[in-house]
Amino acid sequence: MTRTVIVTGGSRGLGLALTRTLLDAGYNVATCSRSLGDALPALLDAYPDRLLWQQAEIGEPASTQSFIDATVQRFGAPWGLINNAGIAREGILATLPLVEVDSLIQTNLTGAIQVARAVLRHMLSRPGGGRIINISSIIGQRGYTGLSAYAATKAGLDGLTRALAREVGRRQITVNSVAPGYLDTEMSGTLSAGQRDQIVRRTPMGRLGTADDVAPAILFLLGDGARYITGQTLTIDGGITC
Amino acid sequence: MTDTQSMLDLIARETARILAEKGETAAASVTTDTAFLDGPLPFDSLDLATLIVALEGVTGKDPFRQGFRQFNTAGELAALYAAA
Repeated sequence: MTRTVIVTGGSRGLGLALTRTLLDAGYNVATCSRSLGDALPALLDAYPDRLLWQQAEIGEPASTQSFIDATVQRFGAPWGLINNAGIAREGILATLPLVEVDSLIQTNLTGAIQVARAVLRHMLSRPGGGRIINISSIIGQRGYTGLSAYAATKAGLDGLTRALAREVGRRQITVNSVAPGYLDTEMSGTLSAGQRDQIVRRTPMGRLGTADDVAPAILFLLGDGARYITGQTLTIDGGITC
Repeated sequence: MTDTQSMLDLIARETARILAEKGETAAASVTTDTAFLDGPLPFDSLDLATLIVALEGVTGKDPFRQGFRQFNTAGELAALYAAA
């Protein structure tokens, strides 16, 4: 039976690369985003039977539940969840509008917890285990000026990973974090040229990462070979935090 | 399915199913006074959560929607669903 993986935020960046990678690997993929974006229509044409997309607002429980319900109705209980949807808001905390702080926490942390809760209810309803992967960030481990609230949400995801791994491990459900470094995606588009040069200089691999540098590791964590890995944070950053 | 006895029957069936999936069997049948945790059932907190999810799936009811409500026994849980 074909396994189904939910990828939140699959219309661009890492989520899009993951959606493509998982489809190529033979998984059914259910993904959601605020808008369809430019690349998903072609994937929907190429994989009409194995790809589901639904508009959803992560952090809004009713919207999230509707997406999960549609996924289960189409594919059955999911095997895996990749909590990827996230936003970044840059600004010195003292002047970062509180509405932006709330938005970051609601989308990046509360939303991820809501999705994990909704998906777990289906994973627990059938035997066989499962996979939950939270996309955190090296920013949550090391910090970065202007990203305090963002860092707090990502560190929160790592906490979720460790606690939930203990909670559901005996059902053979693994929970892990993947912490990318600085990726060359739209989310890093706000970096100045000076910031990018500094990051490249400090990265042993000598470049920013790409979504395709991260996706294969997630594919591994989803597979049977990763069945005894849980509660861990896998950092994929070209060595910048080593 | 809203009366307490029907809920108790459903709870007993779902409890047996969850235990069977774990490869375990209950030493005795589930009755009104059967405690879920620290009682005769080889049940842990995750099993209890699984039971709650299953009951919601069958009945469409969630007596915990507005917050946790204390219960210890199968009879107390059945009453929560019957009243929901």
